[in-house]
Amino acid sequence: MREPLSRRELLAVVSAGVVGAVGTGAAPVRRGKVGLARLPATAVGADMTTAQAREALERALVAATGASSGAAAAKQLFAPGDTVGIKVNTLGGPRLSPRPALVEALAALLRDAGVGSERIIVFDSSSRELQRAGYTIRRSGEPFLCFGIDNDYDRQPASHGAIGSCFARLVSATCTALVSLGVVKDHDLAGVSAGLKNWFGVIHNPNKYHDGNCNPYVADVVSHPYVRSKLRLTVLDAGTAQCHGGPAYRPDMAWPLGMVAASTDPVAIDAWAWKVIDEERTRRGLPRLAEAQRPPSFVATAARYGLGVGDPAAVREVLA
Amino acid sequence: MSGDLDRRRLLSLACAGAGFGLLARGLESEPVVGATVAGDQIPAREASWYRKLEEKRVACQLCPRACQVAEAETGGCGVRENRGGVYHTLVWGAACAVHVDPIEKKPFFHVLPGQRALSFATAGCNVECKFCQNWEISQFRAEQVKAVYLPPEELAKAARRAGAPLLSATYSEPVVFWEYVRDAAQAGRRLGIRSTVVSNGYIQEQPLREVLPLLAAFKVDLKAFREQFYRDLVRGELKPVLRALEIIRASGVWLEIVVLLIPTLNDSEAEVRDLARWVVRTLGPEVPVHFTRFHPTYRLTNLRATPVATLDRAWAIAKAEGLQFAYVGNVPGHAGESTVCPGCGELLIERAGFQVLSNRLHHGACPACHRTIPGVWV
Repeated sequence: MREPLSRRELLAVVSAGVVGAVGTGAAPVRRGKVGLARLPATAVGADMTTAQAREALERALVAATGASSGAAAAKQLFAPGDTVGIKVNTLGGPRLSPRPALVEALAALLRDAGVGSERIIVFDSSSRELQRAGYTIRRSGEPFLCFGIDNDYDRQPASHGAIGSCFARLVSATCTALVSLGVVKDHDLAGVSAGLKNWFGVIHNPNKYHDGNCNPYVADVVSHPYVRSKLRLTVLDAGTAQCHGGPAYRPDMAWPLGMVAASTDPVAIDAWAWKVIDEERTRRGLPRLAEAQRPPSFVATAARYGLGVGDPAAVREVLA
Repeated sequence: MSGDLDRRRLLSLACAGAGFGLLARGLESEPVVGATVAGDQIPAREASWYRKLEEKRVACQLCPRACQVAEAETGGCGVRENRGGVYHTLVWGAACAVHVDPIEKKPFFHVLPGQRALSFATAGCNVECKFCQNWEISQFRAEQVKAVYLPPEELAKAARRAGAPLLSATYSEPVVFWEYVRDAAQAGRRLGIRSTVVSNGYIQEQPLREVLPLLAAFKVDLKAFREQFYRDLVRGELKPVLRALEIIRASGVWLEIVVLLIPTLNDSEAEVRDLARWVVRTLGPEVPVHFTRFHPTYRLTNLRATPVATLDRAWAIAKAEGLQFAYVGNVPGHAGESTVCPGCGELLIERAGFQVLSNRLHHGACPACHRTIPGVWV
């Protein structure tokens, strides 16, 4: 049964909704729908060409949005005047981060939708982590910008739900549209690190919010108007996934899932990531995340906030 | 316009200026001593007080949070990181604020009145007080705050050059840079400089007991006397802090307590009375307790500053409950800033703000009735 929202949760949802209502008028969220595209065997490991990435990404986008093509999906979601921030999660290093080829493919789609090169900003917490994961730091020029937040946060903390954090100015001020580009991996405290947890990287103090499986904190960050009103798309590079030992890369716990996933529902895609991690854990004789005392309960909280569909039974996987 | 970030910049600039003419000494793969660098350019060191767990995880044993930290993650403090199954402190020698302050600013009112303390801090904290005055450094991680590389020996030498007989670990939360505190205290001792700590007292017993013998004085911010306050506004617990207070007091290290009174949240008559009674009964009536004034900041900007009448009431309650040295802070000119003999009422040390206007103590005793006044006077 759906639990009533607490006063704090209600405030979080109402404040987010107020801003969302005057937002950019982006394409409606396809609630509960997750588009999946299999990668060719040659693109599952470390190597993937931009062409392979683009082909898979376009199929996943079509499956997720119902658009006629990847380009049409991009046009549904982004306007030429947008400044699009693509938050990548590179904490896992070169073996367990979204691969640059997928980022390049997404940026190319955005450019095809009319978004200028200098209005596409690929970012993570620090330039150092981006470089470590194989990205080139670029503060101007083509084909897109790429740099770390590197301590460029708002001057005052924003209190929202249970969090009180300074948000990256990229998110609060610069970008008009956001994309979460994560991976599918186990997280020692949160349970799952995929699309939602990726947003922990835009606040200055995520270390304060890992108690209780990061719940409700992850949902609070994503439901903040800075994120919620701008978040258009979540993409997961699931070429390699990891079922245990995250967030660092553990080769013995990684497996070739061989997919790209996309959704306009940021909760549903995390529910899917949770499911596939649990399935792999079961195959390996590991306890499921709930049995291991670290269910990603922020997924249900995010659903309760109205951010998307968190019930795995209600998530529709569409394999392109 | 001068914004709030300017305060952080100011702290950084203060750091930059705090080289105190240190001799630049190039060390292989280490920043130059006294140079201002990004926090993550200071070499990490293996932390003390942790144990290794399976699968390269570690369990921190420094503070009661007892974080279990996976590889590549930091603890809740943001300044300790698991690198390949080895826990590291990222802030040893990484002083993000260094100032020479009057000891009264800490505040210590029974420690070398009128003397100065070379005061230092690093980034990070193990709690998250919604009313933190120094959140621009305490609530940020090591790599987010600029720091001056000042190894303990240089810190002690800088104190000596500044004519400060004391070191004081303060501003953010010394518990999270406990190795630096320990090593600075040892370095200071070699030069005849004593060390003090200004802390929230949220620390496990073993690290506390290990470092106490190196300290001259310890000030604890007792944030409230209710667990719920600690849960809701501090993200910590009261019980371990009370235990730490008992340990410090029993160690013989000089102890003073500060209670920041926040309107409606921890300023009730009942809570102040409970707190005063506990101090008298458990720690003794001669432990100084400072009731200080709150000013809106950080995440508590919706409340007004504490009315002076509230501080007056707490001061009166504390004295009525038997505390011999109750003080009022952050109200310059208040009578509660001065030390009065609990035996005869003689004015012993007259203060205004952080200034000592007169000190009539004679060999640590009241000149009128000769009662010994507890403290570190010489």
